Parts: sequence; C-alpha cells; structure tokens
Amino acid sequence: MAEARPTEGLQERPAAGLTRVVHQVEAVDFGERTVYEGGRLTVSPAEAAQILSSPALGEVSVSWASPGSPVRIVKVLDAVEPRTKGPGGGGIFPGFVGPAQPQGRGRTHVLRGAAVVAAGYLPRAQEAVIDMSGPAAALSPLGSTHNLVVEFVPGEGAKWEDVDEAVRRGTLALAARLAEAALDAPLDAVEELPTGPSATAGLPRVGVVTNLQTQGTFKDVFVYGRSFAQALPTLLDPGDLDDGAVVSGQFGHPGLKNPTFMHQNHPVVAELRRRHGKDLDFAGVVISPEPVDADNKQLISVHAARVCAAAGFDAALVTKEGGGNADADVALKMDELEALGIVAVGLFAEMAGTDGTGPSVVVPPSRATAMVSTGNYDDQLVLPAVDRALGGTTVNLVDLPATEELRLPTAVVYCSLSPLGWGHLRCEAAV
Amino acid sequence: MKAPMTKIVHYINQFFAGIGGEDAAGSPPVRVEGAIGPGRRLQQLLGDDLHIVATVHCGDDYASGSADAVQEILALVRQDDPDLVIAGPAFTSGRYGLACARVAAAATEHGLTSLAAMHEDNPGVDEGGAATIVRSGVAAREMGSSLETLAAAAAIVAGGEPLTNEQGRLGRPRRQVVRADRPAAARAVDLVLARLGGDLEATEVPLPRFEQVTPAAAVEDLAQTVLALVTEGALVPEGNPDRLESARATRWLRYSLDGIDSLAPDQYGSIHGGFSTVWANEDPHRIVPLDVARELEAEGAIGRLHGEYLVTAGNGTSVANARRFGVEWAADLRRSEVRAAILTST
Amino acid sequence: MSIAERVGAPRIVATRGIPYPTGDPSLGPAAERAWRRKLLERALEAVATPVSAPTIFEVDGGKDAA
Repeated sequence: MAEARPTEGLQERPAAGLTRVVHQVEAVDFGERTVYEGGRLTVSPAEAAQILSSPALGEVSVSWASPGSPVRIVKVLDAVEPRTKGPGGGGIFPGFVGPAQPQGRGRTHVLRGAAVVAAGYLPRAQEAVIDMSGPAAALSPLGSTHNLVVEFVPGEGAKWEDVDEAVRRGTLALAARLAEAALDAPLDAVEELPTGPSATAGLPRVGVVTNLQTQGTFKDVFVYGRSFAQALPTLLDPGDLDDGAVVSGQFGHPGLKNPTFMHQNHPVVAELRRRHGKDLDFAGVVISPEPVDADNKQLISVHAARVCAAAGFDAALVTKEGGGNADADVALKMDELEALGIVAVGLFAEMAGTDGTGPSVVVPPSRATAMVSTGNYDDQLVLPAVDRALGGTTVNLVDLPATEELRLPTAVVYCSLSPLGWGHLRCEAAV
Repeated sequence: MKAPMTKIVHYINQFFAGIGGEDAAGSPPVRVEGAIGPGRRLQQLLGDDLHIVATVHCGDDYASGSADAVQEILALVRQDDPDLVIAGPAFTSGRYGLACARVAAAATEHGLTSLAAMHEDNPGVDEGGAATIVRSGVAAREMGSSLETLAAAAAIVAGGEPLTNEQGRLGRPRRQVVRADRPAAARAVDLVLARLGGDLEATEVPLPRFEQVTPAAAVEDLAQTVLALVTEGALVPEGNPDRLESARATRWLRYSLDGIDSLAPDQYGSIHGGFSTVWANEDPHRIVPLDVARELEAEGAIGRLHGEYLVTAGNGTSVANARRFGVEWAADLRRSEVRAAILTST
Repeated sequence: MSIAERVGAPRIVATRGIPYPTGDPSLGPAAERAWRRKLLERALEAVATPVSAPTIFEVDGGKDAA
C-alpha cells in the first residue's frame, strides 16, 4: 500500500455533504448466497445466522414478511434499514458495526423498501405489532417494507442484557451486510443531501430537537454506540442520522417509539431538507435525553433551548419518544425555547381515551401553544386474523394467539403514532 | 339543486309524549310517525331541510332502568335509518336526562350522528359518551328558548360541523381520529412557518385544562388519624396474582397489610411498565413506605395505619380511568374512616 | 413547574426519582431509611397544613442530594 500523503486527502476531499445511493427492493427470496440483482434481494439464511451468532443467543432464524401477505409480526423490537458505506460497512452504524467516529459524509448505499426487524421476548419490552396486510399495515412504516424478521432463543444461562446487546449488534451487522450486496448494483436514485446554510438570504432558520427515551436497560438509545442516558443535549450532524449514529434499544410504547429505522429516515429532518432554501433554512438537529426525574428534565430542557439559541435557530420542532412523562420533556422544552424567543412546535400523540373525551395531553406547555397531532393513543383498532405470526405465538396485552383477530389500541401498532411525524393519523374536534 | 333532506328521529319521555306523569313512568318504548309534543315546535324551527320522520317515546323509569331498555329504544330509532338522532330537551329531570344521554351515546356508537339536550346540572351530561350534548333551560317553562338552541345546534351538527361551547355544547369535547392528507412532519413544518408568520393561534391540539381539585381540609389531629398508603407504582405480591396490567391499567387492587411490618423483596415487586423496576424490586419500600409508616404508627405520630394498601399502575392510563380510580379510592378510604393518604407517584 | 403541580395535586412532596418515590438507591441502607422517614414526616406535615392550591412541601436535602 502506498505511503499516505497528507495532501492527497485535501485534493480528493469529497463534498461536505452526504449522498444517498438508493437501490429499490422489489422482491425478496432466500438462497445459497446473499445477492441483490434486478431489484431482488436474496438472503442466505446460513450467512444471516452466522452474522447473528453470539454466546448470548441460542438458535437464531430469519423469515421474510412482505407487504400484502397475511403475516403479523409480534413482540417487535428494533427495525433497521439496510445501509452501508462500503465493504465491511465502511463506517456505517458507528459504535456498533463501524468504529465510534462521526460519519455522515461521502456515499451511503440504501436498500430502500427492505428492513431487518428483530422480534421476540425481552424484559420490559411492551407488546408491539406489525401487520403486513389489513387496515393496520398502512399505520406502520414497517407495514410496507420487505422485512427480514430475526427471531432468537436466548443462549443457555445468558443474561437478558447480553441477549439484548447480541440481538442489537447482530441486527445492525446483518443490515449492513444486506446493503453490501448492492454495492456494485445499478442504482435507482441518487439523493444529494443539502448541507450548510442555504444560498437564499432571509429565510427563517428552523431546526429540530429530538428527544430520545433513555430510561436504562431495554429502554435506552445509543449514540455512536454509547448510552445517551447521561448525556447533555447536543447538535448532531444530520448525515449522522442517515448513517446510523443513533440506534434504538428502547422497547416501550410501541406506537410512540422511534426505532433505528426511523432515525435513519427521520421524517422531520427529511421535510426540513426538502424545504431548505425554499421556505426555510435547515438549521440543524439537536438530540436530547429524556431523564426520569423532574430536576433533570428541567436542566436538560433549559440546556437544549440554549443549544438551539447558540446554533441560531429561529424556530424548532420538538419531538418525543414514549408517553406520559415524555410529554413533560416536550412541554418544558417548548416553553424554554419560546422563553428564549425561539418559536416552538411540538409533535404530540394524544391520549384522549377510547371515546376521545379525555384531556389529550398529559402535560401541556404553559407558554408555547402550537402542536401537531399524531393521533389518539387509545383509539381502538380491529386487526383481522392472519395465517402466520412471527416473533411469538401470543399477543401479551390481550392474551390471545398471535394469528387471531385482535382488538387493540392504536398504541400497540409499531410507530403508528410516530412522534417523528411519519404518520398520517391526526385528531380533530368531533361533531 | 336542493340539498338532500336530513331525516331525524326524535326521542322524548312519556310526559312530553302525552302518555302520563309518574303513573306512566314504566311505559315501554313506542315509535310513532312524525313529530309529536315538543317535536312539533322543533320541526317548525328546523325548517324544510331537516325533517322529523318519527318520534320514539318511553317512560323514564323504564328507559333509565337498564341497559337493555336503551338497546330497545335504539332498535326503534334505527327503523327509520335516520341521519340525525335528537333526544330531549330533558332540562334538569334526572331520569329523562340519563335516558336522553344514553340513547344519544348508543346511537353514536352505532355510527349515527346524535344530539341530546339538557341543563348543565343534569347527571346525564356525564353519560353522553361520544354524543354531543347541547344546553337547555332549567325546566319546561324555558321550552321555547331551549328548542331554539337545539334547532340551531341540530343544523350545525347535521352539516357535519362540531358544535362549540359557545354554541351551547356541554361536557368535554371529543377528539376523533382522521387520516390527514400529509404526514405530521410536513404539517409540523407548516405550523412552524405559520407561527413564524405571526399566527399565534394555529395548533392542531387545543390545550387541555385539567380539572380544578379542591384540596381536602387539613387533618386536625394526626395522632387520632387513620392513614392509608396508596400508589400508582404497581407494587403487587410476587407473581402478580391478580394480573394487574403494567400499562393502560383499567382497574386497581387492594392488598392487606394486617400483621405485616415490612415488605420483603421476595414477596412483593413492581410490575409497572413505565420505568425500570430494578430499584423497587430490591426494596419494595421505595414504592410503598410501609417500614417507616409502621414506625410512625408505633411512635403514635398517627392514630393507626389503614389495614390495606391500594394500588394501580399509572402508565399510559387514560385520564377517565385515573379520575375513576381517584373517585373510587376516596370513597373506599372514607368508608374505612381513613382521613389522610400518602400517594406515592412514579 | 412540576408535573404534579400542573395536574393540580394539592399537596406535593418532591422526591428524587420516578422509579423510587420513597427511596434513594444511591444511599446506604440506613441513610436511605432516614431519607424515607424525612419524606413521610414531611408528608404528614403536609396533610396537616391547610392549602388552597397545589403546594410543594420541600424536604431538606431534597433538591441537590439527588
């Protein structure tokens, strides 16, 4: 290998931004080798099992769940979009697959239309359901992707914490490996992501504050591979979201959770990028923990608002993860932002009761007043019976076989009330 | 082009149907063609586009006596496949108000647009479920103005618009789920731009107002007071024998503290789904402080500790259920002569 | 403003963390029990004090020791 010359890097320095190279997945299959060809993703189950193998795990299996099929995935844990930056991952998922170093530059290959979805029992995980057909399919971003479902049995005598960690690492490594199959494939789209201030003068600088639910093991979120629980709010390069710097290990409130897949495809960030230079100037992403006690909620909120002020935000969208006390994190931040003269808008899933007559926000802000609704947590859904269930044989909440017709609150459907703003559900005043 | 006519079925009680007073309060439901009693004046106020095609009447005792009665009434109401169901006005009449509210609630559950009219003090206001309830006067002497308010409300509701409190709506407004054209992220950016543009009113979520709770009077003599320990921290006996839900709880439980001075970690644990229960399970007194409460009892700081603790899981609990738990707890504790309670909140 | 105040709880004793309202796992057993005793004594003072609106009853050491 040639000796490194310091000037070489400067001359070939890539543009400051990130380019997404998109390969659309139209069909999926199992086969002897993992290949992506002509829109078809074929996965070798043996290779997948090898990537997932760990002393903390016993038997591991993978199955496809495709859009429109009569399949239900229960006990859903994390979901990850297959992405890579080069052979061996090229730095994708920093802190897990790649070294713990900032990414968000260069080229990232994306297998769009596919996901790796881990499903199975973990302590503290709340029952989470994805239907691949029927009315609930449209309520989840994972209801319209080809999902490679990872099921697992804990290794003999393994601690649950280690099982959790092994599933997380395996799922991310598998997602990187699947995308690697497309590295040399023809591309379907190239997406150049904007970077830096827009050329248009005088546009308002709008950013986003994204709260990450950080309440300890099985309810934690990782940034560059570290737990974010003890961190202070910080700016994060938006490209780092695309490259998987934020990884979810948070398995509470399925309708209100933000799996890794949603951080990779952060809907508010996507919208701010889309309107960058037209309606607004995308001012940045601030990520913030959601502490469990009131004093720290206050500290984190004031600090987050100051970070936004230092970054020159004129306005901020505030997103949450979880319900109940997570509302306080949004309300406090909105109030602190407005106190500093920064316009704040929250994204809120309402908890209005099954009949819609309950007060819908547990902890409303007292100064800020603008909120977008992402639906009613308690609204009842009927999920028709299906032929096959993955992830488990029963649905905890209702104690029924997983393939049966289920009456469940919207809150149980994975990402149905997405606090990152993916969904179309909304509440309005009824007649 | 003429707008299609709105078909209305009107529900009233035996008195306003002219059947009789208390003597006829047990009369079963009956359907008659067209408007009768106060329905005649209501029809005049409604105009040509809203038409009362039938009236269903029932005795107040019969209607408010059982859930089956409401279903019987609803079956008669549905015979005409109405576009709108109107019940009342019931003024301050309790049984009539309950019947009107329940008929409207049941009709709404069956997908019918419904409107009940009564005075704000009528106990039926709390029974309307998802139906709209509009204000009426105190008594039949205010029939004229009450029917005017009701007719105006009927036109609004029949047009598919929500009734506002200014237009006479009673009770809590209802939030209904709809599918928006654009995702929440796009709407949120619109809302930011609107607010930046000076629109400080724009929001999709009106701010809730929590009910004002009147604080209980101070306890006068602690040394004579029965004190209870209650919690929403989901601390239950090992194995959760009564299967308390860890989230969205719909009920609460009671566990005896008789002869128990402390809560052993191998006998009690928290099944709360909203926080890490590691610390609660190491020492259950972190959720239910029985050890210190017994100490205070022995020292005479309180009269006596109540013989059981009450528990639920406060995690994603609907406000309606939480309110009900509170009311039930207060009543239960008062009956047991408890005069003070420490609620540990997670 | 705390959540308890916002929702209108009349008498509030602020404790140190959601998972352990009447404890503090960072303390040793004896110190934790003493802390719990302080909380309950304060709670008893609270119920014996007339209030007209949500009122926080602070406990010595309750703010910074967490």
